[in-house]
Amino acid sequence: MRLEGTIDIAAPPEAVWAVIIDPRDLAACVPGVSDVRQLDERTFEGSVRASVGPIDGDFAFRSVLATLSYPDELVVDVEGTDSVTKSRVVAHIEAGLSSTSDESTTLAYRATVTTKGRLAIIGDMVLRATAGMMIGQVTKCLRSRLETPA
Amino acid sequence: MTSTRNDRPDTDVDVVVVGGGTAGCVVAARLSEDPSRRVLLLEEGPDPQPIPPIVSDPKRQSELILESPYVRMYDVERSDGSSFPLLSGRIMGGGSSVNNLAVVRPMRVDFDAWATYGGDAWSYDALLPLLRAIEDDPDFGDDPIHGSGGPLHLERSYRLDETVDPPVRALIAAAGDAGLPPCHDLNVPDPIGVCASPYNIVDGRRQSTAVAYLEPARGRPNLRIRADTTVVRVLLEAGRACGLEVRDPDGRTATIGARQVVVAGGVFHSPQLLIRSGIGPSDELTAHGIAPRVVREGVGRGYQDHAVVYVTFQGTTELREDYVIPKVRLIAKSDPDRATPDLHVFMQPSIRMEGLPPLLPVSVRLLEHRATGRVRLASADPDELPIVEPALLQHPGDVEAMAGGIAFVRELVGHPALAEFYGDLVNPEPDADMLEHILSSYISYYHGVGTCRIGAADDPLAVVDAGLRVHGVDGLWVADASVLPTVPHANTNLAAIMVGELGARAVAAA
Repeated sequence: MRLEGTIDIAAPPEAVWAVIIDPRDLAACVPGVSDVRQLDERTFEGSVRASVGPIDGDFAFRSVLATLSYPDELVVDVEGTDSVTKSRVVAHIEAGLSSTSDESTTLAYRATVTTKGRLAIIGDMVLRATAGMMIGQVTKCLRSRLETPA
Repeated sequence: MTSTRNDRPDTDVDVVVVGGGTAGCVVAARLSEDPSRRVLLLEEGPDPQPIPPIVSDPKRQSELILESPYVRMYDVERSDGSSFPLLSGRIMGGGSSVNNLAVVRPMRVDFDAWATYGGDAWSYDALLPLLRAIEDDPDFGDDPIHGSGGPLHLERSYRLDETVDPPVRALIAAAGDAGLPPCHDLNVPDPIGVCASPYNIVDGRRQSTAVAYLEPARGRPNLRIRADTTVVRVLLEAGRACGLEVRDPDGRTATIGARQVVVAGGVFHSPQLLIRSGIGPSDELTAHGIAPRVVREGVGRGYQDHAVVYVTFQGTTELREDYVIPKVRLIAKSDPDRATPDLHVFMQPSIRMEGLPPLLPVSVRLLEHRATGRVRLASADPDELPIVEPALLQHPGDVEAMAGGIAFVRELVGHPALAEFYGDLVNPEPDADMLEHILSSYISYYHGVGTCRIGAADDPLAVVDAGLRVHGVDGLWVADASVLPTVPHANTNLAAIMVGELGARAVAAA
């Protein structure tokens, strides 16, 4: 599955960058993410809980900040396994910032998510169903944290 | 847990049935009713006895599909390069051991279509007595279109006129205003409406064909059953099938002699076995270095299936599984001007994630397809899964029909009765390109047919005749859903059982 889009935030790019390169900080804005732990300078672990009808599952993931080049290149590789089917999910996320003024930043993102194993039977549908709302919540959260009330 | 493998050689049987799937169990059980006929049933998967609860208990269906070793996945690609899985059952009973247990007859139009390939013997009127003989339907009993006393028990646990579940009441009201009436019996020849689904369950136990057909036959001295056995190829001699080359789990190969061979490996593996045996399209045989015995260009071609696309709404409440399909399904039209319904619509259980409101997916399942796909060999190695090119939604008319189905669903959930439960569309986003959503997210309803289809000998894409005998080979039949030339407007399990019954009759009459 591919995801692509932009988020406009009325805040300086340095402030946006500081949040998006800190997974613990960013995770506070992402619905369902919990238990985020830093393993080393660029590696983090965490989990996501979701349910589909009678199926309850945890998705344990490890993310690596593969590239950090302010302001236009952040690459994050995520790998994880779900607790129900033990399937493997791999995500490759690229993001970059552009700004038209000191107080206006556009965050552009592009992600590819691949599911291997039985989770593929329902995982793709769940990812698609939740992705839009999650991105909406992330947007709302980033704006609330970074934008100065008018 | 034990398997029915045994160490005695299985030489000199009268009939060998390759594949203990939905249809293969029917063929073996029916043919062994004659005590003078020695029947051998071979299954590549296991035959656990007793059947494990994860298979027999319908309440564990999600676990069965997501976690058990009895489901095989085939990765296939969409045209945008993304992938999704097709599934089959790898256990005695095949798909009937892992499916959602729905007992849905093909519609009259399906039989009409099949009769154009197979003649009057495939018409609705000709096959209705067989459909009645298969089933034991206590809700309708022995009436002109239903049967009682057949091997396959079915019942409707969820009567529309009895339900008090608010979401289902709302669905019935909304569908009624959309022109879809309550449909207490979807096994009428021309069903449409909000339908209570019949299931093959007895006392909480799945009635796969391994249970409904094979279990009562297991004690017969003339029926032998071998699981965990791979069939390498069908052996041919002077234009006639004369047996099989097989391999056991330890890699030991052997030959089995048989006067009659029935291939019932399913839509993926029946064509794979025929091609490995030298019966197939010339390009496939050449590509894999297989000596051609009978060139039939239709082997592996003609694949059809049902495409499924999800649209998801923000929920105003959670729908627990007790409220939702598969107990109730809509049989609807993608275009009100159509003569025949072409959709199954299911209101699916909610998705829940902390920090998000409940999300309510609705699945739109397109019941007819114009395009045909193909099953090809990845190699001549029997351990390698075939390559499946399903060609779902490859015809503009099919995409248009799916878009029409999604438009129907969006209008339906906007009905005041359902608006109590369903909010805004969240996937795809309301202003998104619906065509892009359809083509990048469709999956399968797991109802493949057509890879060894029926037809006349001079039909270049026909593989078997109307009596399921392989063209150009004596003593060889195909009896599973792969013979169906078009995908029915229904789940395919009952159609596969019907084909199994027809195969048994054809072999017995030969």
